[in-house]
Amino acid sequence: MIIFGLLRESISFAINSLVGNKLRTFLSLLGITIGIFAIIIVFTVVDSLEQNLRKSVQSLGDDVVFIQKWPWTFGPNYPWWKYMNRPVPEYPELNQILETCNGAQSVAFLVSARITVKYKSSSIENVPINCASHQYDRVKNFEIADGRYFTEAESASGRPVAVIGDLLAKALFPNQNPIGESVKVNGAKVIVIGVFKKEGESILGGSVDTEVLVPINYARSLVDIRNEDLDPQILVRAKPGISNDDLIDELTGLMRSIRKLHPRSDDNFALNQTSLISTQFDSLFGVVGIVGWVIGGFSILVGGFGIANIMFVSVKERTNIIGIQKSLGAKNYFILSQFLFEAVFLSLIGGVIGLLIVFLLTLAIGDSIGMEVSLSRSNIILGFTISILIGVVSGFVPAYGASQLDPVEAIRSN
Amino acid sequence: MQSSIKRPLLIRIVCILGFIWIVFSFPSVFSPSIKKMGDWYPALFGLIVASSFISYIGVWHMKRWGVQLFVITFFIKELVLVMVEDISYVGMAFSLFFIITMLLYYKRMDLNL
Repeated sequence: MIIFGLLRESISFAINSLVGNKLRTFLSLLGITIGIFAIIIVFTVVDSLEQNLRKSVQSLGDDVVFIQKWPWTFGPNYPWWKYMNRPVPEYPELNQILETCNGAQSVAFLVSARITVKYKSSSIENVPINCASHQYDRVKNFEIADGRYFTEAESASGRPVAVIGDLLAKALFPNQNPIGESVKVNGAKVIVIGVFKKEGESILGGSVDTEVLVPINYARSLVDIRNEDLDPQILVRAKPGISNDDLIDELTGLMRSIRKLHPRSDDNFALNQTSLISTQFDSLFGVVGIVGWVIGGFSILVGGFGIANIMFVSVKERTNIIGIQKSLGAKNYFILSQFLFEAVFLSLIGGVIGLLIVFLLTLAIGDSIGMEVSLSRSNIILGFTISILIGVVSGFVPAYGASQLDPVEAIRSN
Repeated sequence: MQSSIKRPLLIRIVCILGFIWIVFSFPSVFSPSIKKMGDWYPALFGLIVASSFISYIGVWHMKRWGVQLFVITFFIKELVLVMVEDISYVGMAFSLFFIITMLLYYKRMDLNL
């Protein structure tokens, strides 16, 4: 009961202090507000970017190895002239891997290009097209919302069928079901047999929402699948229980034997995996997080001094009231808690305002950039923690000083 | 009504070292590395830092509650560090030295708040 009484009294003191000295309070709270805002906004953006990146990486497949000409990451002074002379992965290599790789669950060959898609009078240019072999649906993570994926016969015979993205379907067929309709892909008729489930914007690009997927054997009539510009690649998904490292070891030996490389010669292919992207981004997010921490830390520090200052002034202004309270029997802990609660309360208001601004900004940012940006539970807890901590640390010394005042001397003071 | 008990030099040194530790520990409450250890870890670590700060103020004013709070905080801190497998033997040695120093002068300290 006494705690509630204390809390009520302290809150009323704090509100009086807020209302009585608006400008002073505003300036003091501003420090905490800016500090909490700076720290939490940086953490929120970093967390959201990380979350989106993980989602994108997951859609690529974290247990998939990509056999390509170029590696995804380069060290300093990398011998790019050696990479230039490498051959691109070829379709026949896919069959050899399919036959001999023990660690592979599924393997697909993929080339990507940009084409023009037409339906009646509607025409969309620069549409990404993926031309893939049959097991692509077992290597890449995607779902089909309407219709179906290619049958093995369609893939093998190269039938002109396509699965299209949700946004593309809506753009080409605004008021009708696209399944069974024919679209023209670079002038050739292709029947739409499926529509991908909407995936949303991907931080790495390449969302299925806007793409067209056709069988590789049909794509031979549309594009040159050996063209280096189309980034030919072989995607290999590991069997359950087989690690990526084991799969890479096996694929290295296999690719060397397929390409008949001399034991002393270097690999002429790159085995990429999504963890390479994650590692690169982890270090970037780490730096951004530290920068936000330093900037926010200084703001918080200044805010803490502001709160301490306002509390010292508050104690000075109310010294005679403290004297009267003590002479009427108020205990030291009562005076201490009164001022400590006030400091924590003031600091919490600053923190809540900071969190509120972050929350409003996340709504605005999320809408404008089309990426999910959300204020997480951990960041809300962190914001409140810092606010309370600042209130306690900066308010304790003035509050303790007030609790130790001599009642006689305190009453005499002006 | 400030405490009239004279502050020994060792207590002065311990408190100054403690305040320096607080200055360095406080920013780490909201550091990315602490945040990665879990949703509640910054709050818990913040509580430890705040209560350490308060205990040093108590010890500085030669109050017994300061020592009591410091000892309780020490055990909670070590328990948390053991749980998150981040135990520091140097930090523990320092804290134990502080506790022994504080206990040496415990009887000379004030009982009141």
